[in-house]
Amino acid sequence: MKPRLGSALLFLLALFPFAFLLLLSVSQRWVYPDLLPAGWSLRPWGDALGRGDDLGVALLTSLLIALTVGAVGTLLGFATARRLSLLPRGRRWLRLAYLPYVFAPVLLAACLQFYFLRLGLSGRVAGVLLAQLFIVYPYAVILASSFYTSRLRDMEDLAGTLGATPVEVARTVSWYLLRGPLAIVFFQSFLISWFEYGLTLLIGVGKVATLPLKVFQFVNEANIFYAAMAASLLVVPPVLLLWINKRLLFVTR
Amino acid sequence: MRGWWIGLLLLLLACGEEQDTSAGELPADWDGIVAAARGQTVDWMMWAGDPLINDYVTSYVAPTVRERYGIELNVIPGQGSQIVQLLLGELEAGRERSEIDLGWINGETFYQLRQIDGLYGPWTERLPNARYIDFDNPFIGTDFQQPIAGYELPWGNVQMTVIYDSSKVATPPRTRAELLAFVRANPGRLTWPTEFTGLTFLKALLIDIAGGGQALSGDFNEADYARYSKELWAYVNQLKPYLWREGRTFPETLAALHQMFANGELWFTMSNNDVEVDNKIGEGLFPATARAYVPDFGSIQNSHYLGITRLSDDKAAAMVVANFLISPEAQLRKADPAVWGDGTVYALDQLPDSLRTAFQNLPGRVHAPQRAAIQANALQELAPEYMIRLAEDFRTQVINR
Amino acid sequence: MRRRGIPWLFLLLAVGPVVLGLGYALLYSLGLVGLLGRGFTLEHWGAVVRSADFWGALGLSTFIAVVTITLSTALALAAVLRWQEHTLRGLRTYAFYLPLALPATVMAFLIFQWLGDAGLLSRLAFALGLTNSTTDFPSLINDRWGTGIIVAHTLMATPFLTIFLANLYRSERVREVSQVAATLGLPPGRVARRLVIPLLLRQGRSTLLLYAVFVFSSYEIPLLLGSQSPAMLSVLTIRKLQRYNLADIPQAYVISVLYALLLVAVLLLWLGWSRYRRNTALHEA
Repeated sequence: MKPRLGSALLFLLALFPFAFLLLLSVSQRWVYPDLLPAGWSLRPWGDALGRGDDLGVALLTSLLIALTVGAVGTLLGFATARRLSLLPRGRRWLRLAYLPYVFAPVLLAACLQFYFLRLGLSGRVAGVLLAQLFIVYPYAVILASSFYTSRLRDMEDLAGTLGATPVEVARTVSWYLLRGPLAIVFFQSFLISWFEYGLTLLIGVGKVATLPLKVFQFVNEANIFYAAMAASLLVVPPVLLLWINKRLLFVTR
Repeated sequence: MRGWWIGLLLLLLACGEEQDTSAGELPADWDGIVAAARGQTVDWMMWAGDPLINDYVTSYVAPTVRERYGIELNVIPGQGSQIVQLLLGELEAGRERSEIDLGWINGETFYQLRQIDGLYGPWTERLPNARYIDFDNPFIGTDFQQPIAGYELPWGNVQMTVIYDSSKVATPPRTRAELLAFVRANPGRLTWPTEFTGLTFLKALLIDIAGGGQALSGDFNEADYARYSKELWAYVNQLKPYLWREGRTFPETLAALHQMFANGELWFTMSNNDVEVDNKIGEGLFPATARAYVPDFGSIQNSHYLGITRLSDDKAAAMVVANFLISPEAQLRKADPAVWGDGTVYALDQLPDSLRTAFQNLPGRVHAPQRAAIQANALQELAPEYMIRLAEDFRTQVINR
Repeated sequence: MRRRGIPWLFLLLAVGPVVLGLGYALLYSLGLVGLLGRGFTLEHWGAVVRSADFWGALGLSTFIAVVTITLSTALALAAVLRWQEHTLRGLRTYAFYLPLALPATVMAFLIFQWLGDAGLLSRLAFALGLTNSTTDFPSLINDRWGTGIIVAHTLMATPFLTIFLANLYRSERVREVSQVAATLGLPPGRVARRLVIPLLLRQGRSTLLLYAVFVFSSYEIPLLLGSQSPAMLSVLTIRKLQRYNLADIPQAYVISVLYALLLVAVLLLWLGWSRYRRNTALHEA
């Protein structure tokens, strides 16, 4: 009985931020030392829906970018992890994947903006995709490599020796063993892209209006109730993604 | 197989710079400009930090210029520093066309953009509606002591106010001495942000120390600055132990300041927009007991402006949009406190009677002070170097001590 | 089936941007490029190296990264040791996955609302009669030790690291290994200390280091929860890049270059250290 209680408490604790955001988004005048706000209002949500078209476009842009970056990053990440694991000095090559992290993403964007402007890629979705891939890809490679262990490769080799074609190996052995990790890497890559602000702002020059850009517009409006509403908008899609993906993400066998 | 990524790279490069379409000279007459503007898209980078302002632009200005002039107005959220950073980057990268056409700028941004030659001009005298603008008013025709010289168009005019909670502060401090006495009696309730608004507050104190009024007008004067800023830091350091967090840190943004005022942690906040107190009470953010005032030592009054980028591809459309923004219709609507409450840049005494009456009959302010009442305490913006120095020295002389 | 040679795509995507970016930053910091550059100068480097702001920022960023990663790794290890291969099961799965949906900015906003002087905790303290005013409540955000920043990052890192370590636990068959050890008579405490923890830390060290670097580089969280001075490095850099003095821009690039060099040094040291560890392990074996 006791362990269940602990887990339930942990679950409630994890729910609290979301509940708090939703509550704050319909509040008014939350002044110290009141524990609860002095008024309630749906105005932030009304205003958000009033700007509906705008937010709809932002939502779609964000989804397009995050899904693309997530998928491309994950596939390239695993492909590279596999490729590196086959190289004689694979682990040594892998170290280079850490190199992009010597820059904070915002600073990397600041230092690369010149090239993006020069190539006419700034202010375009293609430019933002590429720039986000610079951040996501090395991360995906590192994460994928930590799952792509020698044990997995041995099993792939074993299947190959037993006569399976590379496609069959990928479809059966690798997929069976890697779908959890694949889902995790995809989810992480998706999230990095979904939440990316500074880099998108600098490379997209504000023209590629992703949801975080719209959301921070609200946050910058100094009104915590609007900010809470906007934050809710930003966190709901990943929660849905979690829910949809739970079968894959939560493998525990 | 091996070459596929090279293909990808080439593809990315290929969809790069689009062809320059409508460079070339602008038509000589206004009708020609309006005709050329049709079908163009104006990318307008502006501060999008207020729901009322955003609403004014997206639900009024954008649909109107689309309907009347066939211009697509695309708002890109971004403050002055972002405009400067982007234009600087574009010039460094040797771009031939800018990502933005129109910018909402003022003082320090104007100064920086002129430094890097990022602005197109002179253009403002070509606009038919510019005839109503009060260019002779030093609060409008001069920006941070710099002549605007046709490179930026006055669009709105505001004065800084200090906002306080009247349920906690019975009589707000009006002089430097009263302010010091007040924070001594009520420690931890006052602070200001390190950004533009806070620096504007410091400027008012600096001018007061220098003797008030026009004391520091004109170009930056090193000797004056050295003398008066020394006194300013001595005064601020007297306040420091009684400020929020004993003055060891200051909020980085105005948004943070507003939030702490809204939740009761602070008793004061400040705003560069004199009508903001009404707006924020209306939004349910500030308590209904919030009030705004201008201390006896005065506060900075300044204008905000519109600039067209030198590398803009759609200068004609940018001008038509700018002309609409300074039209009687748009100015009147903007001045309504229920819409935004932004002060007009018109010379009211030179307007046709009907228009003047319309401005005078605008619905009143509720808790924001009347403009006429605070005009006497209005201080002009100082030369941009003062702000650069204040920002730096505030760090070294106050925060880091 | 096994292809040898150089992994070009990897080099292009992982190394290319850094080299290009670093090159540009270096040239800019030396006054060799940039609209306002006036030819080669070391003036900007001097200004940064002499400034107390830079060293303060470096110290604070390091401190926060080390404390955060230590705290959250300890918490994550505790969770994995407690629940073992059942860590991600039932309600717990949601408890650990849900926080991943909170981005840094939202987390910073939440901590501001919870730990601020007039935040939820302070109101609770008032309701319980522990404090009489906002000024009685200890400063947990915008303080010089970065308490709020550390709390925010720890709340974000712990669930992530728990999931990561729990997955490692499964993929490395730690359960089986510990069972073997237990069968051989090792007491559970020693199994955890001598076997499970070292195994997880060794397999996960890359990710742990990477997360520490993330914290070190963070921007949105310290922007809202940090103190003016010292500020964290990203905040200081962007401040130099975007504030009023255009002449400060090269300094931002100096910091970027120094920052990159410093992290390269850390990475090299870490690689050297892990190679040393591996070699000694081989010798012992």
